[in-house]
Amino acid sequence: MIALKYPDILLDSLENGHMIIDDKFIVSYWNRWLSINTQIPKGEIIGKSLKEFYPGINYKVLYRKIRTALVINTPTFYDTNSSTKFISMNRNKVTTSSLKLMQQQVTISPYILHENKVMVSIYDISELFEAKLLLKKEIAKVIRLNDKLEAEKEIIDKNIMMIKTSLSGVIIDVSTLFCQFFESQKDNLIGKNILIFKSPDIPEATYKELWETIKSKKSWSGELKNKTSNGVEKWVQTRVTPILDEYGELSEFSAVYHDITNEKLLAQLYITDPLTKLYNRAHFDEVINFIVKHQRKADVGFALVIADVDYFKSINDTYGHQVGDEALVSVANSLKNSLRENDLVARWGGEEFVIMLKNVTLDEAKMIMEKVRESVQKIKINDTISVTASFGLTKYIIGEDANKTFKRVDEALYEAKNSGRNRVVIK
Amino acid sequence: MVNLEFNEDQIDALKEFINISIGAATASLANLLDAFGTMHIPKIEVCNSSELAHKIESTIDLKSMYYATKQLFTGKFGGECMFVISEVSAKNLGRHLYNVTTPSRDDINDAVIELTNILTSTIVSRLTQELNTQVQFFVPSSQFIDAYSIVSSEDVADYSKIIIISTILDFKDQKINGNIYILTKDEAIESLRVLIDRKIEEIYG
Repeated sequence: MIALKYPDILLDSLENGHMIIDDKFIVSYWNRWLSINTQIPKGEIIGKSLKEFYPGINYKVLYRKIRTALVINTPTFYDTNSSTKFISMNRNKVTTSSLKLMQQQVTISPYILHENKVMVSIYDISELFEAKLLLKKEIAKVIRLNDKLEAEKEIIDKNIMMIKTSLSGVIIDVSTLFCQFFESQKDNLIGKNILIFKSPDIPEATYKELWETIKSKKSWSGELKNKTSNGVEKWVQTRVTPILDEYGELSEFSAVYHDITNEKLLAQLYITDPLTKLYNRAHFDEVINFIVKHQRKADVGFALVIADVDYFKSINDTYGHQVGDEALVSVANSLKNSLRENDLVARWGGEEFVIMLKNVTLDEAKMIMEKVRESVQKIKINDTISVTASFGLTKYIIGEDANKTFKRVDEALYEAKNSGRNRVVIK
Repeated sequence: MVNLEFNEDQIDALKEFINISIGAATASLANLLDAFGTMHIPKIEVCNSSELAHKIESTIDLKSMYYATKQLFTGKFGGECMFVISEVSAKNLGRHLYNVTTPSRDDINDAVIELTNILTSTIVSRLTQELNTQVQFFVPSSQFIDAYSIVSSEDVADYSKIIIISTILDFKDQKINGNIYILTKDEAIESLRVLIDRKIEEIYG
């Protein structure tokens, strides 16, 4: 092993403080770094006790640390985070420093065991400590922000219906309000497909449009009827938003729902005849006026029908109003069931019904109405009372006022009534 | 592929070395800190890194706050020594070592660090002496934290296996007790296995 020729030069060149003391605290070595940073020259301190220069050090603790180092022949340490400084040294950093005094790491290493001597090394860890303080401050800030975010998240969770799904519609997350609304538990919903809420009343075309929109990375808004886990039907205003990953590719879907069940119920009541559950006259008027006003090619090719239950007054007088009502409901159901899905049928008033057959020729309309007439003819109230109806039919002439169409259809009905009833007359 | 499994002979030998080391640590503490304590028979477990937090939480009271002091050691057998002491015990330690009625947070931290250093140095030095190898110790650092923050799962995510050597230190007179964990992972486990084999070979030929 090569002995170091000039250990003093080596220790003086280090950027840390090194002193050698014994268990009586007598200093036998003091390097250049210490001389500069403490302003105590080597010549002044060597041979003297550290106590004379630094009476503030807890010498009981220092003694114990020296003994530990000597007895178990291992370095001992002071706490690097301590605000108590081993030897207080000013810090000269001018720019942005939060530390006025040098933060030190103090290590006491065994030196010459039989002379009870140790080397006390002091490292300046101020920069590291400052970074640590800054990090602590920033972490505290992040924690505060997170707490705020958590509180806001809780508000959102309890007050907004939200659902998140995978690209294939598997539920990933739902809010508490969503669970309450759909009468289910979060654990029961996660992992299931969103189709469990689907109502058969919403046309497939709506779902197709929704799916195509979100697949093309656009948001979709609209009204959907859904079923809760208990089978209760509810209407929701829905906005589905695609979530993109860092490469701009679809990763998930997120939807926000707003309950519009009550609004839908009210709207339904407003346009529904309470007895027959068909649309009422006000709704029919609204639709026909809209079509006549806008004259859209897709809408104006309709035929108009007015149906009147034959001998209705006689049914009422003979069997009572209750049976009369039953007859009206039966005729309404028969009309609804024998017409096409997109045809519009409403109660016009009393025992009269009005029908709009969409996109038909007069011949087609006649054929449809003959079938409808036959269907009404098969009705038997209480298995005994037969019901028939007379029908006036006309085709809307593009550009004409709706009153003219109604006038023609009235005339046709009048003729049907006067020519024996239970028939379809065209005008 | 590193072999991280220990056979029965290796476990027996390790237990024996740890017992010797724990005995040495108890003697050091009595001598240096003037406190006569006992240490329980150490438990040695090899577990997945993801289980570490749970293993430690299962040995302490989850409602207390703790001073958790960690000290690294490097060498052929390297790792981390962790000493976990409850707030109450740490205060008692601060009182004992600083000889004051109400020790400051700095006093307590320093006392805990001092105790950890003596424990780590004695146990690990003695263990490595038995295994004919050397280690270097780093400055310990202490944190005052709740039971669930002692080991964060992110901290150990990169390791596959961990050896936990744990024991309880108990100074009845001073009402101080704490848990000591010596943690080592992957390559160090393999090194430990090799060192133990060499030692067994040396003893039994």
